[in-house]
Amino acid sequence: MDVDTNLEIAQLSKKERKALERQQKKEAALRRIKAQDKLPFWTLFRYKYCTWYFAKKLGLGIFRFVLLVGLSYVIIFPYLSKIFSSFMSREDFVDVTVQLIAKYPTLDTYRAIIENNGYFQGLLNSTILSLVCATIQMLACTLVGYGFSKFKFRFKNILFMLVIFTMIVPHETIQLSLFMKFRYFDVWGLFGGVGNFFTNFFKCFQADSGGFAAWGESIKNAIAASTETNGAFLGFLRGLKEGLFSGPITGLNLLNSDWPMIIMSLTCIGFKNGLFIYIMRQYFNGVPDELEEAAYVDGAGVYKTFVKIILPMSATMLVTIFMFAFAWQWSDSFYTGMFYTSSKSILLPNIVKIPATLDTKYAAQTAYESAIRNTCGLLILAPLVVLYLFAQRTMIEGVERSGITG
Amino acid sequence: MTNVKETKKPKATPKKKVKERSLTTAKSRSGWVFIAPFLVGFFLIYLPMIVESIQFSFNEIKILSGGGYQLNFVGWENYEYALAENAEFVKTLWSSLGQLLFNVPAIVIFSLFVAVLLNSKVPGRAIFRAIFFIPVIVSTGIIESIDLQNTLADTMQSMAESASSTIGASTGGQSDPNALISVMDVARYFNNMAVGRELVQYVVKIVNNVYGIINKSGVQMLIFLAGLQSVSPAIYESCQIDGATAWETFWKITFPMISPMILVNTVYTVIDNFTSKSNTMMTFISKIYNDTHGTVRATAMAWIYFLIVIAILALVAALLGGYVFYQRRDK
Repeated sequence: MDVDTNLEIAQLSKKERKALERQQKKEAALRRIKAQDKLPFWTLFRYKYCTWYFAKKLGLGIFRFVLLVGLSYVIIFPYLSKIFSSFMSREDFVDVTVQLIAKYPTLDTYRAIIENNGYFQGLLNSTILSLVCATIQMLACTLVGYGFSKFKFRFKNILFMLVIFTMIVPHETIQLSLFMKFRYFDVWGLFGGVGNFFTNFFKCFQADSGGFAAWGESIKNAIAASTETNGAFLGFLRGLKEGLFSGPITGLNLLNSDWPMIIMSLTCIGFKNGLFIYIMRQYFNGVPDELEEAAYVDGAGVYKTFVKIILPMSATMLVTIFMFAFAWQWSDSFYTGMFYTSSKSILLPNIVKIPATLDTKYAAQTAYESAIRNTCGLLILAPLVVLYLFAQRTMIEGVERSGITG
Repeated sequence: MTNVKETKKPKATPKKKVKERSLTTAKSRSGWVFIAPFLVGFFLIYLPMIVESIQFSFNEIKILSGGGYQLNFVGWENYEYALAENAEFVKTLWSSLGQLLFNVPAIVIFSLFVAVLLNSKVPGRAIFRAIFFIPVIVSTGIIESIDLQNTLADTMQSMAESASSTIGASTGGQSDPNALISVMDVARYFNNMAVGRELVQYVVKIVNNVYGIINKSGVQMLIFLAGLQSVSPAIYESCQIDGATAWETFWKITFPMISPMILVNTVYTVIDNFTSKSNTMMTFISKIYNDTHGTVRATAMAWIYFLIVIAILALVAALLGGYVFYQRRDK
C-alpha cells in the first residue's frame, strides 16, 4: 500500500503535490485542535474577550492601575522635586519659568554641603553607630521575642504587657529622665566610684579619637591617669559611700559617646524595640514546635537549637528587623540630638544647615534655603535608599510572613 | 533490713519527681535567659526612668555646679502651670486631639483601600509595593524635621507677604497655596447628594493631605496586606460560585476576616500619630523642653498628654473590640 501511494505521489505534478501537502497539514491541524478540544483563535477571542465580564474586569484593572500609578506619583513626586531642585543654582529660584529642570544646573549645593558641613565624617560616624545599634537590636529583640514565644514561665503575660507598655510610652515623655540617666549614668550608685576610672578612660578615648584602634592605648592611659589622681579603688569606695548616703547624685557622663545608644539597644529599650519584639514573637509563634522537638530529640540543647536551627531559618525576619532598626537609627534626630551635645561628634542629622560658602541672601531666600536643606536630606538618604533597593523584597516579605495577622 | 528497704523506697520516688520537674524548670529557666536583655533593660533602666520622670514632674530641678542635680518637691505646681497658667497648652492639646480624630480614620481607611488594591492582580505589583513602602523607611526623624523646618519657613514667608500686601489678606479662600482642591469645587459635585457639609469638608481635607496620609500609612498597609493574604482563597471561590458580587464579597467576607487587623491598625495609628514628631503636641512639648533648658514643665505636660492618649486607646479598644470577628480555629 505504502509503496503504491508513494508511487502515486511521485507521479503527481509539483502543484498537485503541494496542494495535497497543504490539505494534509490542514487536516492534521484540525485533528489536533479537535483532540485538544480547542476552538479556532477568532472564536476563542470572541467568546473570551468580547464579553461584558471581560470588559468589566479590564476596566477595573485599568482603573486600579491608574489609581496606583497616581498614588505612587504622589509618593515619589516630592522626592523628585527635591532631587531636581538640588541641582538648581540660585538664579533658578527667581526665574518663574523654571518649574523642575534647572536652566543653570550646578553642583555647587552638593559641593558646599560635602565640604563645609562635614558630610563624610557624619557619614562615617552614622554608619558605624547605625550598624552597631541595628545589629545589637536585631539580636537582642530576636532573643527576647523567641523567649516570649516558645517558653512557659511565670508572669510571662504580665512581662509581655510591659513590652507593649514600652511601645506606647513616647520617649518624649521620659526625655528628661533619659538625658539625666545617661548624663549621670548609675545603677544603684555602683558606677559613681568606678566613674572616676571611666571618665578618665573616656577622656583618653575621645582625646585619641582614633576609634577602636586606640582601645588598648587608652586603657593603659586610663589606668595610669586614675592611679595618678586618686586611684580606681578609692574612687570606687567613694562612689559606694555616696551611693549609700544620698549626697548630690553623681555618675558617669556618657554623653557624646556611643554608649547610651549601645546600652539602650542591648537592653531592648531603644527606638520602637517593643515593636520588633512583638513582630519576632508573632513570627516565632507561627514556627511549628515540632522543629525544635526534633532538634531536642537529636540531642541539641535549647541554645544550640536556637543558634543552629532557628536563627538560620528566620534570616528573612532578621533582615527585616535589621533594616527597620538601621533606617530608623540612621535618620533619628531625637536621640542623637540629645546624647551628642558637643559640636565635635558630627552625625548625619548635624549636617542639616546652610553652608557658609553659599550666599543665600537673595531674592528667593526661603525657597533657596529650603532647597539646600532638602539637598542635605537627600545626601542623608542616598545610602539608605541604595540599601533599601537591595533589601526591599526581603523586607516586605518578612513583614508579610511575620504573621502579625495573629 | 525491712526498715532500710522502707526508707529507701520513698527516697526513690521523689527522685523521679525531681527529675521530671527539672526538665520543665530548665526550660522555663532558659526562657528567663532569653528574655534577660529586656528584663535588665526594663527593670534597671526603663522603669527607674519612668518613676524618675513621674517624680521629676512633681519637683523642681537644680543643676549643681559641682556636677549632679538636686530636687525640690513642689507638689502639683508643674501640672497647675500646664493646665492653668500656660494658655497655649490646653489649646494645643485640643487641636492635637482634633488632628488625631481626623488622621486615624483617614489613615486606617486609606491603608485598607490601598492594601486591597495591592492585593489584587495588577501588573507591576512588586514595584508598587516597593514604592508604597518607601515612606516607612524614608520619612522618619530627620527628614520629617527638615520638612517641618521648610513648611515653617514657607508659612513665615507667606505671613510676611500677606502682611506687606493688603490684597493677600483679603483672599481668605486661597490662603493655602498647596491645596489641590478647595471645598467649593467638591461642594459643586456633591451639591445634589444629601451628604452633610462636614463630610464634604472631611473629604476635601483628606485629598489635600493625601501626601501626609500616604506617608503615615506604610506600616498599616503592610499589616492589612498580610491580613488579606491570610484569608483562604477557598472562601472567595465559594462566594463566587454562589454568585456574590465583589462588593458583597468585600463586606461579607474580607471585612469581617480582617477586622482584628483593623483594631491592631487603629491602635497602632493612634500610638504612631501621637508619638510622631509632626504632632503639634509633641512639637509643643519639645519646644517647651528646649526653651526651659530641661526643666520639668515639659515632663508634666508630656505625662498629662500620655494619660489622655492612654484613655483614648482604651476607648478605641473597647469600642472596636466588640465588633471584631475572630475566626474560630480548632485547637
